[in-house]
This record gives sequence, structure tokens and C-alpha cells, in this order.
Amino acid sequence: MSSSEDTLVLLLAGGVGSRLNILVKTRAKPAVPFAGLYRIIDFSLSNVMNSGMKQVGVLTQYKPLSLMRHLATGDAWDFTGRSRGVKILPPSTGFMDSDWYKGTADAIRQNLSFIKAHPSKEILVLSGDHIYQMDLDAMIEFHRQKNADITVGMMIVPESQIHQFGAGITNDEGRIVEWEEKPKVPRTNLASMGIYVFKTEYLLNLLAEDKDMVDFGIHLIPKAITRDNVFAYPFEGYWRDVGTIQAYWEANMDLLKDDPEITPEAWGIRPNPESEQFVTDRIPARFATGSKVRHSMISAGCVIEGEVVNSVLSPGVKVGPGCRISDSIILHDCIIEDGAAVDLAIMDKRVKVGKGAVIGAGDNKDVPNSKYPDHLYTGISLVCKDADIPPGMIVGRNCIINPWCKQEDFTAHVLQDGDTI
Amino acid sequence: MKLKQKTLAMILAGGRVDDLGVLTFHRPKSAIPFGGFTRVIDFSLSNLMNSGLERVAILSQYRSYSLINHIGIGSAWDMIGRYRGISVLPPYLGYGHSQWYRGSSDAVYQNLDFVQYINPEQLLILSGDHIYNMDYREIINYHREKDADLTMVCLKVPMDEANRFGVADIDDEDGERGGKVVRYSEKPENPEFNWASMTVFCFKPKVLYEVLEANINEDASYEFGRDIIPRMMRENRRVFGYKFKGYWGYTGTIEEFWQANMDLLGDDPPIKYADWNIRTNMEHRNIRDCQPLKIGDNAQISNSLVYNGCIVEGEVERSILFPGTYVAKGARVKDSVLFFNNEVGKGAELNKIVSDVNTTFDSGVRIGEESKIGSKEITVIGWNNFIRANTIIGSGCTVYPSIPSQKIPKLVESGEVVR
Repeated sequence: MSSSEDTLVLLLAGGVGSRLNILVKTRAKPAVPFAGLYRIIDFSLSNVMNSGMKQVGVLTQYKPLSLMRHLATGDAWDFTGRSRGVKILPPSTGFMDSDWYKGTADAIRQNLSFIKAHPSKEILVLSGDHIYQMDLDAMIEFHRQKNADITVGMMIVPESQIHQFGAGITNDEGRIVEWEEKPKVPRTNLASMGIYVFKTEYLLNLLAEDKDMVDFGIHLIPKAITRDNVFAYPFEGYWRDVGTIQAYWEANMDLLKDDPEITPEAWGIRPNPESEQFVTDRIPARFATGSKVRHSMISAGCVIEGEVVNSVLSPGVKVGPGCRISDSIILHDCIIEDGAAVDLAIMDKRVKVGKGAVIGAGDNKDVPNSKYPDHLYTGISLVCKDADIPPGMIVGRNCIINPWCKQEDFTAHVLQDGDTI
Repeated sequence: MKLKQKTLAMILAGGRVDDLGVLTFHRPKSAIPFGGFTRVIDFSLSNLMNSGLERVAILSQYRSYSLINHIGIGSAWDMIGRYRGISVLPPYLGYGHSQWYRGSSDAVYQNLDFVQYINPEQLLILSGDHIYNMDYREIINYHREKDADLTMVCLKVPMDEANRFGVADIDDEDGERGGKVVRYSEKPENPEFNWASMTVFCFKPKVLYEVLEANINEDASYEFGRDIIPRMMRENRRVFGYKFKGYWGYTGTIEEFWQANMDLLGDDPPIKYADWNIRTNMEHRNIRDCQPLKIGDNAQISNSLVYNGCIVEGEVERSILFPGTYVAKGARVKDSVLFFNNEVGKGAELNKIVSDVNTTFDSGVRIGEESKIGSKEITVIGWNNFIRANTIIGSGCTVYPSIPSQKIPKLVESGEVVR
């Protein structure tokens, strides 16, 4: 029997992930589609499933609808039956101190009743924001072996990136002796993955100590390392926080490599195709005579008549004759009409690109988006859900086309590099 | 009461078909994979779902495990609920006269207690072996309009093929729509009429009970086509024919099965696959967990259907690939249907084959090479085979399932059978 059976999982899925820009306009970051037919949360949830844990609470807050629909009854991940379950835990008002979640620890604190209703030895807190495969059962084992109060999943990152993470310094036995949240000056390259194992009793006491401690990385961990048993559990392997447009694009492109580090199916990651609420099953991808597809991932339901290179296509994308799609991520049911060209773009669901239109025109990738210069500066253009791009339209680099844009919203025939509609 | 279904549908899914050879060695015909991710029976089940008929029984006897596995709890077709559901009815041993099903109508007869318990207003009996798209509500409406005892759906076939089917002579009572069946003959040697029965029957239950009872007591054979319909004609029952005009994939032979698959391809395919609203059980073989198809740098795919979970690095032309199939660099697959988890090694060339699940073609294997003299025949490879490197197999060959690899000769001449 795996040790993780006594572990209660709390999955933090409330993140806004605002740097993902248009992709999080209508959904929370964990619900953002990834690798064609997955959503980001599938990775954490499948890791939990494959590690043998049985009870999961998913803490949501920001735009939870598509996430709730995606999780449904949890049967996609076998979380059904008398002893298994996945429950959505939204913020709620109540008799006392209820409010929006003020931080990671606060979110857990507001769900004490859920924790008490599911007796456990350990509580595993993890985030639904990351792309990785991890044996969490092994981490629980490690936690027990060390008799730790807290075990933090940590991995080595380039020093230049450490400022994005909680950074820990460990001693020889793996004990965390120093902690800095998002340090400006790197002193270590050991970064927190936002995965914590707590002794349940210990966590309950710690949360009760001081209600102003609302965040694990900022408040609780720094306090705990001064007096309690806090260990780092080392992780090696592919792990990405796809929290920026650039990182999201790169992680999708990583799928296409010859011997890829990321292999969702082999990792045992499960999607939930039913949550698409597509009435029938998608038929196999259809490749017409004369189509040309190289170095790409194509999902069921696609119809390819043109050319696709170095791209990831979600289910139901139609690529007309004479089209060329390159270096792009195209989500569900987009229609690219005859002769259109799409280069270096991320397109949300159901976008229609009219005949002969060009997305990603020209070679000048240096003009960042004028509204969001820190989101879009590498040349990637974004097209929002349901946008209807008129035939012949020319869209430059680092552009944003907002949701539900209709043909008449495009007043000029050219959208300059860095512009937004 | 809206919820309670007025029609009970019974699917005849037990049969294996000799002409389909190795493909039905381990499964009934209805469970054969078709079209890149579905099974043959998915077409009947999806037709029922799309027609709003959700009380279904499946009569199955031959190798029913893979079929039962595929049906699951019926949720794939939304057939779950108090008045919705799929019941698999295998033969059973009991106090009375229970035994193996002795024919299609005996299968129904042995389950009459089930039918009477449901007590439907009409009983729709259909074969689970065919590829077609039909709204059964039209047939039921016609059946009720005519106050028929039996309405059978028929399709006009060429006269020279009519001897393979039960054929009806339908009068023009309702023109294009249908009419009274004035003559019927089962697989006639010299056919005089050519409305072939598609094995889609709508019965008035009370009449069927009577006819089945008489058939069991008086006849020695228990088939709808051979015995029940002729008996109803003799008894002057109200038998009507509904004229169907769409696509029908009978798939009774390897050639027909292959052709029906090819009918999914081309610029204007006869089967409008995406419009037929087909559902399958995505949990069977876990195909719901497949990642998208991965296409390599030098791959070339043309006029083909390829499902999630495949990796294509070579060339695929006019073919259908089921999930889990791998086509290595330099390999070439043409005019072929590869079921789940086939592996095509480097430089292998497959021409016009149907390959059952879990078969590996090692590097340099060549099958069914283009011959200079006219059309080739299909080579069929049974499941769980390993074809060793550089083996050459001709066209029209059959390799039985699960043959130890060293027993498969390195050269198999056209038309040979390896068993």
C-alpha cells in the first residue's frame, strides 16, 4: 500500500497568471490549454493520480468556470468512488473571517473544515500551474523518513532566474537553513517549485498561530525554518512554469523536439476530452492530398489541406488549401481559410482567419506590444477567442487582437507591429 | 411519460463472419476496429443515440468479451439513466430451454422475458455489423403510419449482387419512401428484384411474439431473413419496406471492409465521417488519454486519417492509422488500414494491407509491392505478430494471429496463408 493514501491534496488553482495575457481573459491559468488537448492543471492532477493519492481539494478563485467544467466529477483522473474524490473549493462567505483568498496559506486556512473532514497524516499543497512529471509518493516517503514538519519540493534553476522563485539554502542533510522569497541578488540556485508536504497537525497549528501569515513562501516557510524541521526534496527533470507568453510558447515547442524531454502520454498525463462539451467524438485528423505537415503536433478533428510547420494544433483546427502555419500554437476549432499565413502566433479557440490574411507579417520582431511591452516582445502575436479576422488583413508582430473582434472592428487593412485591436 | 422510451432497440452483434477471416478470430464482427478510432458497432449505437433511442439490448454470443469491454456501462452514448441503458444479453443456462443462440431470431426469442418486461410499443431489431448513418425515427414513424407488423429497411443493390442478400419486391404505395413488400426471398440464386434488406427491422411486438413462437415450434432454423420474414409473408402479415438511399457499408468481406475504410478518404468521401455524429467508447484501450499525433521532420501524409497517439516520421498515403501506431523514417504506408499499436520500422513498405492490433513490421519489410499486372489483392495480418526485418510478403496473403515470428517465412508468395 502506498504511503500517500493517508495524504490529503490541496491544489492551488486560483492563480490569475496575468502575464499569459489573452489566454487568461476568460479562464484561470490552470485551465489554459496546453499541448493540443490538455489543460495545464492536467499535469498536477495526473501526477497526484499516478502517485496514489485519493482525496483532492482544488482551490479556485479567479474565473473558475472552465476549470470546474474541466474537473467535472473527477472521473477523467479516476477520482471517483467511495474513498476517492476531487472537490472544488471556492472562496465563500461565512459566519466568521471569510473572504477572498488573500494568499496561498490563507486559502488553506479558509478550508480548515475540508481538511478536518478528511483526516490525514500529511497535507500536500501544490500548484496547478506547472508542466512536469513527479512521483509525489516518493516525496511523501522522503518527508516521513526525515520526520520533517515541512518538506519543500525544490530544483536547481539558472541563477539568472532565481529572482522569480522562493530560494533556499540547505545543509548537508537537506535541511533548509536559509530562505529568501524572490531574491534580487542570487545566493543559491535552489528554487521552490511551490510543492509542500506538511504534517497535518503541524500545519493546523502553524496556520492558527498568526492569521496575518497569508503566504507560504513569504511568511510561513521563513518562520518555520528558524525552529522546525524543514527539508528540501530535490527534483530533477523537466519542470516549467508556463506563466509568460514566451515560456508558454517555448514549452509547447519543446513537445516537438526529436527526443523530447516532455512526453505527456508517456508521463501518464490525462486530459478530459469530455469537458470540451463537443457533442460527438472528434474523428481522426484528416490530411488532404497535397497537404504538407512537418515537425508538428496535430490533434483529432483537424482537417489539413495546406502546410503546417513547427506548430501545435488543438482539436478541430481547419487549415485551408494554400495556407501556411508556422511556429504557432492554434487552439480548438480555429478556421484558417485558403491562402492565409500564420507565423509565430498563439491563437485562442474558434478564431477565424479570412482568406489570404497574414498573421505575423514582416521580420521586425523588435517592436514590443505598446500596451503590454513586458508580455510581448519576442515577436509572438496573440489572437483572442472567437476573433473574426477579415480576408486580406495584415497583422504584424507582437500584436494583440482582443476577444470577439468582428470583421468591422478592423478599420485598417494593416495592424502595425506592436499594435492592439 | 416522456422519459420512458417507447421503442426498445435490440442489436444483433454476436456473429463472426467467415469471410473476414483473421479479423474475427478473436472478436465478433461488430467489435472490429473501423475508421481510425471507432468499432463497427459504434455506427449502430450512434445512430440510435442520434435518433433518441436510448433503451438498447445487445445480443451477443461469439467472443463477446471485447464487445462487452467496448460497450462499458453505455455512458459513451449517453445511455445511462433510469430509462436509458445498454444491456448486454449473452446466452444463459436456466431452468427452461436455454442454450446457445441457434440463430438471430432465436437470440431474440430466448430473451423475450426481457422484452416483455420492458414492454415497448415497437421493437427495433438491427445488425451491429454495418457502416451507415440512419435516423431510425423516420422508420418508426413510417411503421406507425402504416400500422405495419414489420417494417424492414431496404437498399437497392445491383441485380448481380442481390443473391448475397435477403431481397424484397416493394410496391409503390408510398413512392420513394417505401411500400408494401409483395415478395421476399432470402439469397435467391436468380434474383428478380433487388431491394436488399439492411437488417434493420421494426416489429409490432405482439405480432413478433406470435411469429417467434410458431417458428420455434414448427421450424428447424431460426433466422430473421431465412425464416421469420418468409413466415410473415406466408401468413399475410403487414410487411412494409422502407427505401433507404444513403451509404451502406456491408463489410461482409475483407475487400468490402477495406473499401468502406477507403470510402472515408478522398476529396469528396462517400462517408461524411464528421457529419455522422459518431461516438465511440474513448475509455476502451484508453484512447482518450492519447496525446496529439506527432509528425516528424521528413514525414509526408497525404489523403489519410490519423488519430491521436500516433507518431509518423515516414510516408503515409491513402491510409488510416489507429492510435498508437508508429511509422518510422523512410517507411512507407500506402492504401492500408493499420489498427491500434502497429509499428512500421525503418524503410518498411506496406501496400494495401489490413493489419490487426499490436503488430510490428521490422525494418525493410515489404508487403504487397506494386505488381505490374493490374489490381492487387489485400494482405491481412492477424494481431500480435512480429514480422522480421526484410521479410517480403506478397499481395492477397493472410498471416494468422500470434504466430511465433520465426515461423513466418522471410518470403511469402502472393496468395499464401501463413498459419
